[in-house]
Amino acid sequence: MNEVTEMTESTDTLCIDDVDDLFPHNWILHHPMYLRMQSLDVEDGAQVHAAFLVYMDLTEVRHWKDVSSLKCPELQVVLLEGREKEGAPMQSILPLPVHQYLNHKSVRTVLGRGFPVLLCVVASDSTLVYQRMTDGFVTPDPPAGQIQDHGRRQHRKRHQQH
Amino acid sequence: MDATPTAELTSTPGQHVVEPLQDGGGGDGTSRRPHPLIGIHLCGSTALVWRTADVKAAREAGVVGSLVGALPRQPRQNGRLGRPLQLGQEELRLLLEKQASGDDLESSAPNSEGEVQQAQTECYEEEQRSSFEAQSILALEERKSALLRAMGGAKQGGGTSQPDGGVSGRLEVLDQSFVFPRSAVAVQLRTARAGLSHCSDERTLLSSAQPGSSQRAPRSESRFQVFRDLRQRGYYITSAGKFGGDFLVYPGDPLRFHAHFIAVCVALDEQLPLVDVLAVARLGSNVKKTVLLCSPGGPAAPVHYTSLQWSGMV
Repeated sequence: MNEVTEMTESTDTLCIDDVDDLFPHNWILHHPMYLRMQSLDVEDGAQVHAAFLVYMDLTEVRHWKDVSSLKCPELQVVLLEGREKEGAPMQSILPLPVHQYLNHKSVRTVLGRGFPVLLCVVASDSTLVYQRMTDGFVTPDPPAGQIQDHGRRQHRKRHQQH
Repeated sequence: MDATPTAELTSTPGQHVVEPLQDGGGGDGTSRRPHPLIGIHLCGSTALVWRTADVKAAREAGVVGSLVGALPRQPRQNGRLGRPLQLGQEELRLLLEKQASGDDLESSAPNSEGEVQQAQTECYEEEQRSSFEAQSILALEERKSALLRAMGGAKQGGGTSQPDGGVSGRLEVLDQSFVFPRSAVAVQLRTARAGLSHCSDERTLLSSAQPGSSQRAPRSESRFQVFRDLRQRGYYITSAGKFGGDFLVYPGDPLRFHAHFIAVCVALDEQLPLVDVLAVARLGSNVKKTVLLCSPGGPAAPVHYTSLQWSGMV
């Protein structure tokens, strides 16, 4: 909903029409990157919209560099590629709306591009969840912090309770 | 001399007993460790291993299973359980496959079996002979002492002393003429089973009685291929019911390591709801394990693995 601010003392007033011109409701549709994604000719409109939201998050919020969109012909989806910062390695991002499905073959296809892959799931309220996907076996990080050996203290405690 | 491996199938009424061959692990045929037999009992469709030696042998083959029996001295608890060891479907199939690979050795088994039986017969007869000799010596001594007792008693009772020569003379006669009859030999009957080389004629009857290989759900087939591939890479595998996956994958023996991976077996073209993918990956990161998406490529194709990790991008 638009809020109209009227300033009685100043001559500057914002009326509804001006606001509309500056901040159109459908600003996404006019965004150059969105128009570019549309031109990639991907049928799935929901996926294109999801890709755009991820693009905005990566560029405006996380300040990634060299973010571009491209079409993946095998999967018929819009993929994003970008760097976390200058000089960082290139990564592939697969944006998908949450209600859609994913199969392992698609994942392998995106991995086949040769860059580290991030899966980004877009919820209906624009919440974004990023998931790292890597080929092969990635050993998890060991538990952090000091690992204390309690010895037999626990055992003794339990014994006392009886 | 290498121990010739044999595969035995025995059964008791109401139970299948399938005993697969344990592959000794060595690739070349020249040096092979002795092959232990693993006895597996099928109770319905559940595979159980009862003997401690078999549980140990299964562990050495990389099959962990899970203990499901109550301990006699600690019955009402679930913290520590005892034998039998229950095998999962994939574990059972892996052990049976190892038997199938040793099938060509089975063809040479009849010869060796004949030799084994002959050796056993000879051994048995030798045992009987030595037992007979020992018993006859003991019987003779007992007769002599009985005689001496009788003579000594007569001496005391009679009052008139007989010449000692009579006693020794009697003993000599006993020595020469004493015969311990064969029918009086005590024979030991063993109630415990000495080995598994019994009922060999039942082997051919039961060799085709393998758990239903005809109907296998496609999902169980892919699970087994992943299981076998992971095993070949040297990982230890247990079930992952507590973690929402198919298998827990350990870099070594589960007693020594925490699991590194939660393996989820899917077909390459199986459609997964994205929420499920996120859920299992988030769960994995909470318990410090990587989620592994595993898909077999085909019957002879390699298995594809993709690791899912929480990205840490808040």
